[in-house]
Amino acid sequence: MFEKILKTICCTIDWVVRQAGLLASFIMPLLAFVVAFEVFSRYVLSSPTIWAFDLSLFMFGYLAALGGAYAQQKRAHINVDILYLKVSHKTRCVFNLVSFSLAIFFLVIIVMMSYGKYEEAIEFDYRRQSEWAPPMFHFWIMMMIAGGLFIAQLARDMMAELFFILTSKVLIEETQ
Amino acid sequence: MGIEILTVVLLLCILVFFALGAQVGLALGGIAMAVGYMTWGDGIFNVIPTTLEATYFSFILLAIPLYIYMGQLLTKSGIGDAMFNFSQMIIGRVRGSLAISVIGVCSMIGAMVGIIGAGIMTSGSIALRPMLERGYNKRLALGVIMAGGGLGILIPPSIPMIMFAASTQNSVGRMFLGAMVPALLTVVLMILYVVISCKLNPDRAPRDIDNKDIVKLEGRAKFKIARDGLFSILLIVAVLGSIISGIATPTESGAIGVVGALILAIMFKRFKLDMFLHSGFQTATLVSVAMWIIFGASVFSNFHLLMGVQSMVAGFTASLDLPPIMIIIMFQLIMLLLGFIIDEFIIVLMCAPLFTPIAVSLGYDPIWFGVLMIINILIAVQTPPYGFALFYLKGIAPAGIGMSEIYRSVTPFILLNLTVLILCMLFPDIVLWLPNLVMN
Amino acid sequence: ADLSAAEHNWRFSNLYGRGTAFGEVYESLAKNIETKSEGRIKVQVLYSGEGVGTSGLLGAVKSGLVTMGAPFQSMHAGELPAGVVEIGLPGGTDDPAELQALFHDKGWDKVLTKAYGSQGLVWLEPYIQPPVYILTKQEIKSAEDFKGLKIRAPGAYGKFLRNLGASPVSLSWSEIYTSLATGVIDGSIGSNMIDHRDGNHVEVAKYMYKLPLAGAQVLPVIVNRSAWKKLPEELQAVVQEATEQHAADQLRLSKKWESEAVAEMEAKGLLWSPEPSDVDRKAWAAAGAGLWDEYAAQDKYSKELIDILRNSK
Ligand code: NA
Ligand code: NA
Repeated sequence: MFEKILKTICCTIDWVVRQAGLLASFIMPLLAFVVAFEVFSRYVLSSPTIWAFDLSLFMFGYLAALGGAYAQQKRAHINVDILYLKVSHKTRCVFNLVSFSLAIFFLVIIVMMSYGKYEEAIEFDYRRQSEWAPPMFHFWIMMMIAGGLFIAQLARDMMAELFFILTSKVLIEETQ
Repeated sequence: MGIEILTVVLLLCILVFFALGAQVGLALGGIAMAVGYMTWGDGIFNVIPTTLEATYFSFILLAIPLYIYMGQLLTKSGIGDAMFNFSQMIIGRVRGSLAISVIGVCSMIGAMVGIIGAGIMTSGSIALRPMLERGYNKRLALGVIMAGGGLGILIPPSIPMIMFAASTQNSVGRMFLGAMVPALLTVVLMILYVVISCKLNPDRAPRDIDNKDIVKLEGRAKFKIARDGLFSILLIVAVLGSIISGIATPTESGAIGVVGALILAIMFKRFKLDMFLHSGFQTATLVSVAMWIIFGASVFSNFHLLMGVQSMVAGFTASLDLPPIMIIIMFQLIMLLLGFIIDEFIIVLMCAPLFTPIAVSLGYDPIWFGVLMIINILIAVQTPPYGFALFYLKGIAPAGIGMSEIYRSVTPFILLNLTVLILCMLFPDIVLWLPNLVMN
Repeated sequence: ADLSAAEHNWRFSNLYGRGTAFGEVYESLAKNIETKSEGRIKVQVLYSGEGVGTSGLLGAVKSGLVTMGAPFQSMHAGELPAGVVEIGLPGGTDDPAELQALFHDKGWDKVLTKAYGSQGLVWLEPYIQPPVYILTKQEIKSAEDFKGLKIRAPGAYGKFLRNLGASPVSLSWSEIYTSLATGVIDGSIGSNMIDHRDGNHVEVAKYMYKLPLAGAQVLPVIVNRSAWKKLPEELQAVVQEATEQHAADQLRLSKKWESEAVAEMEAKGLLWSPEPSDVDRKAWAAAGAGLWDEYAAQDKYSKELIDILRNSK
């Protein structure tokens, strides 16, 4: 029963994080299009846009930040695995518990600070410095979501590691 | 806590968490914030928003997603492979020829991008799989990608060179010209290394004709490969052309490459929705991985800078009392050591204005010194434990390739870079001949 | 250096690189504060990119990450719009006496104190830096020649150039050189002549236009409010006095350095576009005047500043 609840929680987190990863991947072609359009507009039409510069940077930020949790799910983040690959599975779980805790600590600060910046951005109507001057608040909301998803994914992974340490059973078989 | 002790503490924390196999970016950020909280208080957390904005709103870094995406589209559509198949059709009988083609392609990519990350991840996206599929030795393949991708900052345009020139008030043009011969020398040495090492260990680079699994191509198939290969080379030439002819900036031309890759894929009926979605997915993951590292590392170095590491280096530099050439060598050593915990941009930012005036006052040419610095940071980003190029390479490498494998694969190529560094130090004309010829 | 020895440990961020001439003026402001406070305030100077990026400077002082800052207000147009008016809208004066009056007698100081105060910042004595000029690849024979040119110019300067018929382009600073060389852009503004020199842009674009976009640039020195409140009155006076000394140094030295930078660029082949005609000057003034209403409508502090400016004409 307990195992089933754990599995459900994990699968739910996995699903949500995967959607964020999907969203991030849809941004990529749009981002390329925006930059290419700016080149077209400037070179062919001789009228540079005022929005492509900031829009492309926003898309870049969304893409890069939101994909973080999904990359964790895929274990795609880079680590120095010289010792890591040599130790037993259980020791590796312990290692992960330590390093994921540090990561969560960092991400919690990111979420907290982004919330502060979001409030400030609303209070003072913060914008980008460009002529287009798009508002900034949504970037901080996105950072909170990106950080939150990342924390959820790491917490889910820690749960799975703990489960293995305690029961010697793998909670959820890796799909890929 | 003094800055010296703080630096040692930070280095120890890095070693511990890297040994535990922590994710590089999050570990660097986490260490900085934890140590920062203990030495500074919660005020240090305010470094996060400013660093977030500086990292994600950098138009220069935008080259990373655009070029990786171009690379992924070329690979996933099979057009990239066609380029190498085509080159193999012509020079496939030479052992190691594929690696040589890869070096050629990397040099062209190096002439498009100006930062390490874009160089390595684009070269890796396009050229790693063809080498591995043909049974090339993994280490040779990875090493070639690393060294080839590193050409991004050695072949103009190069962002670190522009930063160096601006912060020391030197000519960007001279700097670009000064790096040309050393870059060419690097490429030649790389090719020589590949040829010689393949002669000595023939199994490191199998030839297509010896491989029974590869079917001999006839007529139509041959034509198709030649056509696709030619067009993909043309695409790369077109992207380069768009930079040189002033249609787009180096960053923007990545987007031109994306559009071109899509058009080629559609033209040659290689466009599939699945391929398109998969390229986006793969790119998003690679970009996230790279950007979380860059962000975490920036938080780390910003904290370190706010605590005054630059004053420590300045103080140490001022206290050096050595013969001139020893000072130059000392500078190189300091930068190599800084490369253990600091990234390439920060090294240039910190060391260029500190070291260059001293080098000039000792009678050395600033362009020569600048090129030495660029080669030096090229080495620094490839040396463990903290080396961005290593992280990027691991990001692009197939699953199952560990960091120790990466370390071993890059070692011979780091030695090549070191050779070039020493040659340029001994014979300044390698650097100065071309700019003096063109600009005086 | 033993940081704990002083009563107040400050970090002071500026926009210039280590070892640059301007960097040294900020360094001497820091030294001045230390000496005049008899070591009770210790100031660590952070140069461009050292811990805080140029676009994060205002936020960093606001949050207390750095205690004192010398930001470039165009970078913060989206956070503190009045700062862009403070720096000098296109068409503004370059007469130090006139600026002195505007800031100290006519009431700009009061408005700016309020504007910065609303964001938790203390506004100290501002200083004057040399004006913004446009460098182009082709000679500009009349203001008409700006039509259709792609010129790298952010924010307010971009709007001004659009009024002249040019097409402002957004680019990062480190791409200006290559973009001028290859022709992605036809010209670029620089934050001043020294900036043009440091970027080596004259190697790839030769012609400087004689009229500056604004007469002079006025930049603030700001301090985090809670750090300021921790200072006893006599130390606040010391810091205030040091920033006044700094303003005088900037005025004297920046003039000198500007002419040095121009001389160096001329030696490298800088040419001046011909003297603008009266028609050109009128077009120039008109392009600038159009912006005043726009900026006044955007922000209440900007409006107060512009109202004062109008009344003083
Ligand atoms: Na390059
Ligand atoms: Na390193």
